[in-house]
Amino acid sequence: MIDLTPDAKERFELYLGRMRSALRGSRAVEASEVEQNVREHVEIALAGATGPVDAERLGEVLAQLGPPERWLTDDDRPWWSRTLHTISHGPEDWRLSYLAFGAFALSLLLLPIGVGVFVLIAAFALSRATVELIHDRGEILGARRWLVLPAIWIVLLGVVLPLLIAPVAGISSLFLDDLDAPEGYEQIRFHAGVIGMVAGAWWLVMAGVFAALMKPFRALFYPVSANLTRKHAVVLALVAIMVGAIGAAVFFANGFV
Amino acid sequence: MSDSTFYDNWTTQLRKGLLELAILNSVSGGPLYGYDIVRRLADLDSLVITEGTVYPILSRLRNEEYVETYIEESSAGPPRKYYRLTARGREELRRMNQHWQRLHDALGTIRKERAR
Repeated sequence: MIDLTPDAKERFELYLGRMRSALRGSRAVEASEVEQNVREHVEIALAGATGPVDAERLGEVLAQLGPPERWLTDDDRPWWSRTLHTISHGPEDWRLSYLAFGAFALSLLLLPIGVGVFVLIAAFALSRATVELIHDRGEILGARRWLVLPAIWIVLLGVVLPLLIAPVAGISSLFLDDLDAPEGYEQIRFHAGVIGMVAGAWWLVMAGVFAALMKPFRALFYPVSANLTRKHAVVLALVAIMVGAIGAAVFFANGFV
Repeated sequence: MSDSTFYDNWTTQLRKGLLELAILNSVSGGPLYGYDIVRRLADLDSLVITEGTVYPILSRLRNEEYVETYIEESSAGPPRKYYRLTARGREELRRMNQHWQRLHDALGTIRKERAR
């Protein structure tokens, strides 16, 4: 057993503490076995020393062993350590990806109290920044898509669905309030007719707006919107005409003019 | 990414991949204790940057039953833990060496063709 000065003992214990912490949670590597090997390594490396070994001499041996935080390969780390390591040491695109997903998860938790909307916008911005960074490097998203796409999808749906549905509900209720609706089953047909016509008219307008603003829309929600073309605006217009026509048929077939 | 960062990342990845092969080859000639394995590998230029990296790999190789350990008394100090190849480790090492040789040959062929 080598004799260490109090300073050297303290330094060695600190080093072993860092090592245990770095190896904690690894299923592939036994921290106790590595610690035993490191103790043996230090014993042998300092075996020729005469008198107590000071912190400086011990430090030389520990420096050659290197920082324990770098000993494990990614495969040896537990999943939570891999995640933390990627966030703190990984390339910035991976760090951004994890940050984007973290912000997205947080936004879902905070949505009930309203603040979540702002966090969701931040998550969206981080996700888009990640996508641009990866795009600039000429790389593909790969597995990172699971981290960055959810926020972009949710914001896209959060913008598009209210734009398509909310005005239809609002305008329809204005018409329905002004018209004298019949009672019973006829009332349902009456409402369906009005809602169908309003939806058809509104979606036709939206198809025009969508076609005109296709480029900025595609850029804003890239890569989710990458495959959108004017053809999709035409499809929306056709659906609008069809829904409007059905609404008109239901409305006029009943004689409400 | 700068050229030196690319080179550093590449050599780090290459070293990580080769370290297990180097450790298994070290103990293939006979049992060695941990410190001895580290010293042998550290003497090979550019294979081991931080010596401590070897110990977690030894632990993993033992967990996977490619090597086994036994304790032997030492006249020069405390008892030492020796590592030796198991039959499973020997078979795995044979496959790894074969694969490494194929890679080496393939790379040599490409370089020769480019040199013409």
